[in-house]
Amino acid sequence: MAGTALYALCVLCLLGLYLVLRPGGRLLKTVGVLIGLAALALLFVEITRSATGGGENEQGAFFYIFSSIAVMAAVRMITHTRPVYSALYFVFVVLSSAGLFLLLEAEFIAFALIIIYAGAILITYLFVIMLAQQSPDPHNPSAQPEYDVIPREPAAAVVVGFIMLALFSHMIVETFSNAPQSPSVQMAQNLAWRDLEQMPTQLEDLVRESETETFRLGWDEQDDWLEIAGETASVRYTLNESGQQKLLELPADAQPDNIQRVGLSLILQYREGQLELAGVILLLAMFGAVVLARKHIELNEDEKRQAAGMRRLGYEDEPESGKLTSGGEPS
Amino acid sequence: MTTVLATELLTVLTLNQYLLVSAVLFTVGLVGFLARRNLIVMFLCTELMFQAGAIAFIAFSRFHLEVSGQVFVIFILTVAAAEAALALALVVLLYRRKETLNAELWSELRE
Repeated sequence: MAGTALYALCVLCLLGLYLVLRPGGRLLKTVGVLIGLAALALLFVEITRSATGGGENEQGAFFYIFSSIAVMAAVRMITHTRPVYSALYFVFVVLSSAGLFLLLEAEFIAFALIIIYAGAILITYLFVIMLAQQSPDPHNPSAQPEYDVIPREPAAAVVVGFIMLALFSHMIVETFSNAPQSPSVQMAQNLAWRDLEQMPTQLEDLVRESETETFRLGWDEQDDWLEIAGETASVRYTLNESGQQKLLELPADAQPDNIQRVGLSLILQYREGQLELAGVILLLAMFGAVVLARKHIELNEDEKRQAAGMRRLGYEDEPESGKLTSGGEPS
Repeated sequence: MTTVLATELLTVLTLNQYLLVSAVLFTVGLVGFLARRNLIVMFLCTELMFQAGAIAFIAFSRFHLEVSGQVFVIFILTVAAAEAALALALVVLLYRRKETLNAELWSELRE
């Protein structure tokens, strides 16, 4: 019967969202907020209970702070009647999900998200909102246009949202409860060392800190450069002159950090030009935006000639007019 | 029983919780896209759905110890930026025609 409880909670969540979304009195909206928050909290408890196992984590409080800010700002974003405030609430969502990314140890993406989303994309949105926003009543600049105040078919939208949320939560409970709920520390260390093995320059620099003679990485009979033992790893190298095989233990902080691993994955897994393709997409989007948004100004022949720095046509009384009509070359 | 659950909720983070946050954000974005009538706010809602997808990607990347989830979010950011540029150019174009952002005035496009 866990499924029924799940669906009931989804219904309550979306009912709260509906009450907040539809134009109505302050009392109904408050009731909607309370119903939605309570149902969401219960849904959370239900989902957490369904997970089998899970690692201890001291950052649980941060997770709840960030995720509740994200969800509440998202709801406020779709219910606020002024688009500028909607965009600002979306900045809240971006910042708090960057916080979630930090909890998930994705530092590079977290800060890239703040710079690109909150810094670049949202500013573009704000510019367009300010460009296109106008008050319907010139005597009362704070009046809202009607299409911002009255939503379109909120009941139908909420029904679709219920189907979506019920599908998601059912899927999370059924499918992902047996998925790994906490990453094994051992395996994470192992994978980090494996990534370091793909960076020979880094390894050589690490060895050069303690080795004065010239060397090459690896022993002859073994392919692996690193000997991994849990938290620490040792790098195998051979001295060039004496041929002596040596082993250097690396400290735990020699592991590549998040940005290095993302870069390595980007280079190694997408080497057939997907990254360049992303650049091409951005370039084409820029061309498209310029072509779409530019104002079409019809110029007549004289204005075109003037814009090109040429003499205007049609002045028959000027002395050079005979030359101009025959050839049209600039003098 | 309840105290055990409460302490567990505060100290144990699981993949399911992150996925639920992502699902809720996606649903809110979807409802907003369907219910709002302002063109710009509708596009903001699609950005919210992108964001929800990114959270799911990063959560899977962390719990499956696979960095390529984070790499994929870079591509999501690229597509989101391209979409924002084109969508906003279209919005500006439509606004010049009819001097309004009401999406319903463009419903004749469906024919």
